[in-house]
Amino acid sequence: MLSHLVVGSSLYFGDSLFYAICFILLLWVVKVLAWKPVTKMMQDRADKISNDIDSAEKSRSDAASLVEKRQAALNASRGEAQTIVQDAKTNGQQQRDQIVAQAQTDAQTLKTNAQKDIDQEREDALAGARNDVADLSIEIASKIIQRELNADDQKALIDSYIEGLGKHHES
Amino acid sequence: MNDGPVSTFQFLGLTFSTANVVSGLVVFLLVLAVVFFTSRHLAMKPTKGQNFLEWLIEFTNGILKGSIPSNEVSGFGLYGFTLFLFLFLSNQLGLFIQLAMPNGATVVRSPTSDPIVTLTFSLMTLMIAQFSGVQKLGYKKHFANYLKPFVVWLPISIFEEFTNFLTLGLRIFGVIFSGEMLLKLIWGLATSHGLVTMIVAIPIEMVWQGFSAFLGAIQAFVFVTLSSVYISQKLEVEE
Repeated sequence: MLSHLVVGSSLYFGDSLFYAICFILLLWVVKVLAWKPVTKMMQDRADKISNDIDSAEKSRSDAASLVEKRQAALNASRGEAQTIVQDAKTNGQQQRDQIVAQAQTDAQTLKTNAQKDIDQEREDALAGARNDVADLSIEIASKIIQRELNADDQKALIDSYIEGLGKHHES
Repeated sequence: MNDGPVSTFQFLGLTFSTANVVSGLVVFLLVLAVVFFTSRHLAMKPTKGQNFLEWLIEFTNGILKGSIPSNEVSGFGLYGFTLFLFLFLSNQLGLFIQLAMPNGATVVRSPTSDPIVTLTFSLMTLMIAQFSGVQKLGYKKHFANYLKPFVVWLPISIFEEFTNFLTLGLRIFGVIFSGEMLLKLIWGLATSHGLVTMIVAIPIEMVWQGFSAFLGAIQAFVFVTLSSVYISQKLEVEE
């Protein structure tokens, strides 16, 4: 039928059967050999890419929140450090003031004590000298006038004399 | 080409054309070789051959997606891929290799330059269309489509199936057959008057060969496109 429709040459229906069978076989072989593994691989790849995109998004947000946390911690520790330094400064100032005040007081005390000692010693020395002079002069006088003067009368006499000397010196 | 003496043989009471059987086998083996050598060492990161194969699969799937709803494409992907590869290699085969027996009967040429081959594939496509239509819609809805838009449309619907079958098969046959015919004519011209015609004809031959290679690719593409259109028509209920 078709042979007259087309080119006038004969068509062999055996060929048709041959091609149909061969093509079906070819479909089967291609499916086993390439189609299944390749499409599976393509599907796997598509899945993997979408997973990768998801996990990349997740790790990006994780990193962002981590950065935020770190920043907050950094700010906190900076404030803490400032407080510590401030405290240390205040303490130092206080201690310095204390030490200086203590030193001043000590020095004052020392100075006062020294003054006192000096005064005391001068007093003692003067008293000693007075007594010595009194005794000496009694001895001398007793030796000179060969008689025992009343020690107290003598002392009063010498005191008045020395006082007169001191006034004479001071003037 | 069927202009010379034709070599045939008998098998199981059927007549076979030697040229069709031999060149068909050549193309089947070529398809197998292409598919085999590009699908070795499949990896997540594709290498040369795998890249090519995946590109080809994407390409034929893209053709199918043009008309078949995308959730149904996977069922026809293998058919579209194998059909495209087979038709493309068939169309190119005759442009580069033409072998004839001593008595002038051709043995190797494009299988698609014989209408019986192209009509076989056309019939195959339409059978797949009918089958998948019945499978998806059921017999009742499938055959009810022939009565739409009017009941009296039935003869036209049936006639349309027949013309689809003929045009799908004969379009590709016509282009490939005429391409090979013209190649032979130009070659005849080249050898007719010695060196002078040879110099003139060889560039023409080369140009026509290149154009035919282009047409062969286009025709394989068109065949797969139309196949997917015919299949998609059977997958939906006509309004």
